[in-house]
Amino acid sequence: MRIINKAGGLIYQREFQPGLRKLSTNDYLVLAGTFHGVHAITRTITPKLPLAPPSTSPAVSSPGNTAPATSGYSYPNPGVPTSGLEFLETDKFRLTCFQTLTGTKFLLFTDPLTGSVDTIMNKIYELYADYVMKNPFYQLEMPVRCEAFDRHLGAWLRGRT
Amino acid sequence: MPVYSFYIFDRHAECIYKRRWLPRPTSIVGKSSRATDAQAGPTGLGQTVNASDDDAKLVFGTVFSLRNMVRKLGGEEDNFVSYSTSQYKLHYYETPTNIKFVMLTDLKSPSMRIALQQIYINLFVEYVVKNPLSPIEHPGGVGVNNELFEESLEQFVCWLAPFC
Repeated sequence: MRIINKAGGLIYQREFQPGLRKLSTNDYLVLAGTFHGVHAITRTITPKLPLAPPSTSPAVSSPGNTAPATSGYSYPNPGVPTSGLEFLETDKFRLTCFQTLTGTKFLLFTDPLTGSVDTIMNKIYELYADYVMKNPFYQLEMPVRCEAFDRHLGAWLRGRT
Repeated sequence: MPVYSFYIFDRHAECIYKRRWLPRPTSIVGKSSRATDAQAGPTGLGQTVNASDDDAKLVFGTVFSLRNMVRKLGGEEDNFVSYSTSQYKLHYYETPTNIKFVMLTDLKSPSMRIALQQIYINLFVEYVVKNPLSPIEHPGGVGVNNELFEESLEQFVCWLAPFC
């Protein structure tokens, strides 16, 4: 599990189960920075659908009459704010990214078959809020070194499995 | 299950084929140029838009960095299959020769790995690779310009996504 702050720096990284390859701290920092950038790009390449009457899908209307519709567009999921990458699936693991309103990103690497990642994520966020943010000695945007957070996180995850 | 767009990148990071099924204004750059673009004629279907569009580059950058990230974490033979945001889902398939197939669909679509593989095997190899007139490399972004390939891709996607 990793936490990336809003500037793209890695502030917490911890492994619960061996499985993924071990990398040097430097590599982890580079990956965190890369992910931060990719996350921003994935948001900008969201497809925009031109606002047109639903009957005139481009296949039907391509000869000509799509032009007036170019002024406005909607996203595929209207009502839901556009977000960056949320789930990434590979052959070996599944990455879940949760971005808080303040821009901190929580990255959770799980087995592809693990269920209820959302609950884990929410619990982690809760613990983070309780033990990191409420820690008077914690400096914002700096690496997390809170023993209580480590302890509770470990205990809670052990209790789940 | 709408398919929004489809890209092929060759091993030199060149976008050799690109197709969108719904015309859309670009996000940040060149809003005005896009508008004239769309008015210029019946774009959208059956046309590969070359250059002047940064979308392909962004998609390639994303896919490339994610692929490297996944390889670093999961080992050399690991490969990423897809990712999703709150709005869309991106599917990725890479051939052993480093040709990358990327497809953007909506969230509800199942895994398209097989479909992309099919496109490669049945369409790309058959119509592009086996075409003696088709160049092997695509310097300068000439891209795949093959009627047969485009037509059958069109059919294939229509079969996948019965909306069109």
